[in-house]
Amino acid sequence: MWSIGGRALFKREVQRFVRRPKNTFMPPAITNVLYFAVFGIVLGGRIDEIAGFPYVLFILPGLIVLGAVSNAFENAAFSIFHGRWNEYIDEPLTSPLSYTEIVAAYVGASALRGLLVGVIIGAVGRIFTPIGIKHAAVLAVTMVIVCVLFAGLGLIGGLYARDFDDLTVMNQFILRPLVFFGAVFYSLDVLPSTWRTVSLLNPMVYMVDTIRYGLLGYSDLTPTVSVGVLLGATVAVLALDIWLVKRGVGLTD
Amino acid sequence: MPPAIETERLVKEYGDLRALDEVSLRVEDGEFFGLLGPNGAGKTTFISILVGLVRLSGGSARVFGHDVVDDYREARDAIGIAPQEFNVDRFFPIEEVLMHKAGYHGITHDEAKERAHEVLKTVGIYEKREQRFDWLSGGMKRRLLLARALVTDPDLLILDEPTAGVDVELRHDLWEIVSDLNANGTTVLLTTHYIEEAERLCDRVAILDHGEVVTVESPEDLMDRGTDTIYVTLEADLDAPPALDGYAIDAWIDAGRLAVQVDDGGAVAPRLLRDLSDGGHEVVDLEIARTSLEDIFVDLTERSGGIS
Ligand SMILES: Nc1ncnc2c1ncn2[C@@H]1O[C@H](COP(=O)(O)OP(=O)(O)OP(=O)(O)O)[C@@H](O)[C@H]1O
Ligand SMILES: [Mg+2]
Repeated sequence: MWSIGGRALFKREVQRFVRRPKNTFMPPAITNVLYFAVFGIVLGGRIDEIAGFPYVLFILPGLIVLGAVSNAFENAAFSIFHGRWNEYIDEPLTSPLSYTEIVAAYVGASALRGLLVGVIIGAVGRIFTPIGIKHAAVLAVTMVIVCVLFAGLGLIGGLYARDFDDLTVMNQFILRPLVFFGAVFYSLDVLPSTWRTVSLLNPMVYMVDTIRYGLLGYSDLTPTVSVGVLLGATVAVLALDIWLVKRGVGLTD
Repeated sequence: MPPAIETERLVKEYGDLRALDEVSLRVEDGEFFGLLGPNGAGKTTFISILVGLVRLSGGSARVFGHDVVDDYREARDAIGIAPQEFNVDRFFPIEEVLMHKAGYHGITHDEAKERAHEVLKTVGIYEKREQRFDWLSGGMKRRLLLARALVTDPDLLILDEPTAGVDVELRHDLWEIVSDLNANGTTVLLTTHYIEEAERLCDRVAILDHGEVVTVESPEDLMDRGTDTIYVTLEADLDAPPALDGYAIDAWIDAGRLAVQVDDGGAVAPRLLRDLSDGGHEVVDLEIARTSLEDIFVDLTERSGGIS
């Protein structure tokens, strides 16, 4: 399916994070050990069960989504921006790669990083709480979709960023609020109905809910609808990615 | 075979600034072509349009017959570029940087490795293959840019000021490598500020100024259009230059020395010396300043009525 050129770029992008495991995989592992320690062991006993699940188990799917998508986003945004900053993005740009291949390579590698981080968080969680997988197919498909979606968004961030501060701003002011109001730490059912409706505009809600369904078998929304919404958003974002790269936004003068 | 480069009324605008103003150029397959002109003339802009780093605002450009916009993949596949500024991935060892570039051009892993080693040997930094770009010296960095341009075995090699700020040895190495490639059929497009380099290497040169092509001709013809200045130090200072009829285009006193502008310094110097001693002036020292590219350039633009 892929040309040699597209594969070469994808491989380079994967090596960029695989060769630095200390920067790639250690931070999310450590952060999540802390989350689980606090919410599971220190506070866990004082917080009521939600929908019949101990609190730490209830938030685990959200933490997996949170780690996976923020890593997918950051990887794509940083890699594109850093390449622009040091101008080595010229290397693939001056090569006979199609615009679709360029997007596929950057997004694919970043999504892979997100997935790996998701798996690591799941594994860390397993140490603290007995978690199984209720619907493996739903879980796998949704994880892939959400990682691609956020890698695709990260690519856009990387194209528009003007300096490293912009990347931080995107993380702090866009990603974080989405995550915190994305029903990671609470069930939608606890919200008054207006806020519940507003929450449905947040893509994070669908992601967390569907992953929770895949892992725990519990969901506030209809999983198939959620997957449909996410898939639609992903296709739209990828189309936008290709269009932007083709137009050379942030890449060519 | 279509020409290596053919542009028609190529225009690039940055806001109000016209960096390229209807540039029509044709570089034949196999030619060694120079692109000269002062800073900001539009040389890099011209080159960048060919490889897709700059979007054109008007006109068209083709590389071996492939339109750089519509058939960008074919056009880019034919080009190897060593840019003016360092734009190398600093994360990977240089050997891998070269392999990646080859990979983007559809060259398989094993062959890419072979080629990377080969070009690193060609440019003389094979021993450094496991180092990162940042650890190379300035000269080695230039060599690497050339290696990266060569690793895809391009039909069109583009060098944007490859010898700016490099030592004599490297300059000669580069000249030799590039001349060999050209002798074996690679078309070369070179930008430079060194007239000596253009004279030595190029079949033809184009002079660009403010985004417009001023002239396209052989370096020899170009040099013939330029002038030399002979500086003569005399025993006794002059207040005003003596009359030097017939060969002096201009004459003036420059920091106590007599300066005489002539068409061909070497040919005229003996006569000038004779005239001066005939006039009773004792000559202490004589120096011929060859025309610099900038001088020729100024001459050209002034003689052609001036472009501002
Ligand atoms: N990204 C850009 N945005 C705005 N103006 C630009 C940009 N790039 C180049 N220019 C302008 O376009 C003109 C041509 O620049 P260019 O780099 O092509 O010149 P050059 O002939 O390569 O000069 P030099 O010999 O200094 O390398 C200059 O006036 C330059 O300031
Ligand atoms: Mg330049």
